[in-house]
Amino acid sequence: MQDQIRDVLAAHGRMAVDPREVDDQADLYDLGLTSHASVDVMLALEDAFDIEFPDEVLKKSTFASVRNIEQVVEGLVKAVA
Amino acid sequence: MITLPGAVDGRRVRVGCDVQDIEHVQDSLAAFGDRYLRKVFTASEINDCQGRNQVHRLAARFAAKEAVIKAFAEPNMPFPWREIEVTRDGPLPLLRLSGTLAERAQHQGWLSSSLSLSHADCHAMAVVLVACGGNAGGTRDDA
Repeated sequence: MQDQIRDVLAAHGRMAVDPREVDDQADLYDLGLTSHASVDVMLALEDAFDIEFPDEVLKKSTFASVRNIEQVVEGLVKAVA
Repeated sequence: MITLPGAVDGRRVRVGCDVQDIEHVQDSLAAFGDRYLRKVFTASEINDCQGRNQVHRLAARFAAKEAVIKAFAEPNMPFPWREIEVTRDGPLPLLRLSGTLAERAQHQGWLSSSLSLSHADCHAMAVVLVACGGNAGGTRDDA
């Protein structure tokens, strides 16, 4: 799952570094992720995992690290299953 | 050294600002189309932005939503973008909150707001100023 998340970040995150090479707890905002780019990341994650982000997870911490994204996506995938 | 009070004429004030790259909004529209619009903007905002400067207007409204989120000064609050709506009163943009964000604004003592939008070819920006009642809480976010 992390590889898919990192691919989405690489395609849509507009980050200053390659997200496929960052620690899974590195602060993505410090690495260049913006609020607007997080919208694209969210929409691409919805496509990649066939999920929908509900309003309650639309918070800055959700997109703050690869690990955080993974935890939220895992929860949403389980909820759909 | 002095610490300046966060109040004007006895009212606590909150300020938020944001700037958005027009090209990024254009790219999001190209990549995700209506899904991008419906996730971020209300039907009224989408309608207001139709026309020649659609992307610039959308970018200014996204900046307004981010400015409002910063004015809340609660860094990890949920931010349902569609609960922040830019409406118009003639030439003036107005701020309308709904749902959980309206409740949060009420909790923080928000009384009134002033919103300013602008854009150039490459960027759009927004500034929001909020006047709060005397019991306004929360902390400032420097981000």
